[in-house]
Amino acid sequence: MNGFDAWAKAATDPQRVGEKPEALSGLRVLEHCPGHFGGMVAASILGEFGAEGIKVEPPGGDPARGYAPMGISIAGTGLPFLSEARNRRFVTLSLEKEMGREVFRRLAMAADVIVTSESAERMEERGIGYAGLSRGNPGLIFLALSTYGSFGPHAGRPVKDSDILCQALSGAPYIVGEPEGEGPPQPHQAPTKLGNWHGWFVEGLCGAFGVLAALHFRWETGKGQFIDVSGPEGLMKFADYNITWMHAAGKARKRVGNFDPAVFPYTYIRCRDGYTFIAAYNDEAFESLMTIIGRPELSKDPRFSPPANRVRMENEQALLSILEEWSGNLTADEILRAVEDYTSKQSGPAAAVVTGRVNRPLETLADAHWRERGCFTRVNDSVYGDLLLAAPPWKMSGTPARVKSVCRLPGADNRDVYGEIGYSPEEIDSLIARGIL
Amino acid sequence: MPSDSPGRNGFRAFAEAAFPLAAIASRPEALKGIRVIELATRIFGPATCDCLGEFGAEVIKVEMPLRGDLMRYVSPEGFFWKEMSPAFLSLNRNKLHVAIDVHPPEGKELFTRLAEKSDVVVENLRAGTMDKWGIGYRQLRERNPGIIYAANSGFGQWGPYSQGRASYDATAQAVSGFSAITGFPDQPPMKAGFWVGDYTAALLSATAILAALAARRRTGEGQMIDLSQAEAMIRTLDWTWPYAGRTGQDRRRAGNQDVTLPPSGIYRCADGFVAVSARDDEERAGLFRALSGDSGGEGGSLVPERVARFTAAKTCGEVLRISEEAGFSAAPVVGGREQYHDPHLRARGTVWELDDPLYGRIDEFGPCPKLSESPGRIKWTAKPVGYHNEKVFGELLGLSAKEMEELARKKVIGKWADLPGARPPEAEGPGQPGKTEESARRG
Repeated sequence: MNGFDAWAKAATDPQRVGEKPEALSGLRVLEHCPGHFGGMVAASILGEFGAEGIKVEPPGGDPARGYAPMGISIAGTGLPFLSEARNRRFVTLSLEKEMGREVFRRLAMAADVIVTSESAERMEERGIGYAGLSRGNPGLIFLALSTYGSFGPHAGRPVKDSDILCQALSGAPYIVGEPEGEGPPQPHQAPTKLGNWHGWFVEGLCGAFGVLAALHFRWETGKGQFIDVSGPEGLMKFADYNITWMHAAGKARKRVGNFDPAVFPYTYIRCRDGYTFIAAYNDEAFESLMTIIGRPELSKDPRFSPPANRVRMENEQALLSILEEWSGNLTADEILRAVEDYTSKQSGPAAAVVTGRVNRPLETLADAHWRERGCFTRVNDSVYGDLLLAAPPWKMSGTPARVKSVCRLPGADNRDVYGEIGYSPEEIDSLIARGIL
Repeated sequence: MPSDSPGRNGFRAFAEAAFPLAAIASRPEALKGIRVIELATRIFGPATCDCLGEFGAEVIKVEMPLRGDLMRYVSPEGFFWKEMSPAFLSLNRNKLHVAIDVHPPEGKELFTRLAEKSDVVVENLRAGTMDKWGIGYRQLRERNPGIIYAANSGFGQWGPYSQGRASYDATAQAVSGFSAITGFPDQPPMKAGFWVGDYTAALLSATAILAALAARRRTGEGQMIDLSQAEAMIRTLDWTWPYAGRTGQDRRRAGNQDVTLPPSGIYRCADGFVAVSARDDEERAGLFRALSGDSGGEGGSLVPERVARFTAAKTCGEVLRISEEAGFSAAPVVGGREQYHDPHLRARGTVWELDDPLYGRIDEFGPCPKLSESPGRIKWTAKPVGYHNEKVFGELLGLSAKEMEELARKKVIGKWADLPGARPPEAEGPGQPGKTEESARRG
């Protein structure tokens, strides 16, 4: 290996991020996304790279703090909020009154980026939208997150953006899940949602990407801009060739359970201790896999060769049965070893046999590999206690991303933040007394 | 409202002026001037560069001569359109295609010269492969200290699993815990039927590349970005980890219910499926009113079974109409066909009507996000192996025709194999438009 892995570890070790600068230090991000998780993701991603985030909550706290799966809440805040509240300061502000909107405008004049999940049209109506604010701050980058976007025939549909709406309209659930069989459909034979808030996550991630592209443009031109993200459109791209295939063949992707219309084998197979993923879809890799399972003759079987035959649904089903005859007696680790023993002696396309156990979350957590790579972080917060969080996913040699704080109570940073934009302690007291903060 | 606020009409006027599709071609590009070299196959690396290319980066995709990226041969139901797979087209827009065999020294040198003139290198080979070949980050930064090097892989560039273990999208779905929380409680874990582990990680990689470019403006220095696609998926699992940390328990599969925002979820209706969403008390009250009105004013609680009974007897359109009246949110569960024909998505350029110089009209997925000043765009779709060799080697590296011939003779550079997926479309006579395209329009 030329010692590359040792060099790479030394260069990107997350334990040493404190010694290094941050990519986006000095970038001020103002986040106004009540009840919206996607906006938190956008701000978190920028914050992990060093942006200085300020989250504006309604007085009393953001409704998203109340999202509490399994009823678990810590100091009034549920676990989803705590998972995306890192690296920012927390202020409260009521935008219901003009006095509060004036405070928001002053915050916006000192900001580089605004992230909002409120309707762009409604923001404009209230004098805190992009067109108004950018007149005083022409470099402002204004990110609006919504279900249908801010323009187009459906932009006016009155919905409150949520993960399930983003998922439904993205086309993802449509192609996830079991198809209907004979007889009345079973409850699970339905378009199936991704288990996490993936729609919301991708919406926020698209937003962060757009902000950084706009930042690049601002460096070249001095100009800010309005960024319109429709959450479903982010995840829509992940369903890859849906549009192109429709155009070229008039065909749309369908639900095929754990099968795949383009590549096979590319599926989960039952093994002695659960399920594992197995893929070997190009011809050379398929031949490797048939050798590994002790059935080399099958690589020339007309059901499975050429690849176009291999992806016929009845042949995918036949091949799955053959694979499970082999895997049923093996553990996922034994399958991994068998694959690695064989592929380590191959190169190029013949080595493309790929496997990996379908882990429950606790199994992922227990894996020494992720622990060594600092993939999770445990933080003991004075308010929220002991919290386990996913760390930033990137390891970077120059300006590594990092987690610096977990969460703060609503309004915890009011005095600091409002002081910085010129409010005296007396004025801040007065705003609190009037219910603006 | 302050007098200088444009108000409601002001926003509409702004949006109309900011986002007309016809104006996009004449507007500047956000990432113009950024050059990206891609040495990657299948999805994770190519999708990363596709994101950057949509916003104006110049992406040079380096493939092996003849067969090229193996993704060229991944096609739904074995279908090729004008000799190309729809799956490859949708991943490789706005790129320049060159073919270099980087194994011989001349190939390495050619690749290094491209990297010298570039800002970003993206690869997704097994960890350490590029370094072993002498064209990894450690070697390239000697020639170009500003280079930003995105090393995309399954398990990362270091750590116990980094050596030798290959990965695809569904490896990341499987080992991260993502699949274990997707699907129904009484059924096996469900693999997402699309390459979510690749695309999610690709967008995270593209985002980190932009952050590294921002850092380079201050420091002048490049860096290496090590991104594991499994770690990317781990990062997306919201409350899974604090829940495991606090309770010592696994988050369970919950089928089509969003257990955080009950009774939000996907429900069967008379003509398909509909997503019902109630994010706050106001929406829950609206949904409750709708359910009560439906069942003659009965009380009871807001449970999924009741929502299911409510939607089962109605069409999706009826549920949407009722949701707007009652004050909760709903949306249809749609697939590619509905999206392809959706006037909203076409008006937004999310279904992008491309007129490609080689292939003619081909509709593709268009850019997300939408930027008002420097919008993303699709300029052309993927091309045959080595299609832009002369342009890149000649115009960018200054190679003469004779030098290129010599490199081609030594098989260091090359073009397409005579195979569907790699080669150009057959020439069409005048007045003979592609049949498949016509039939698609009828459909």
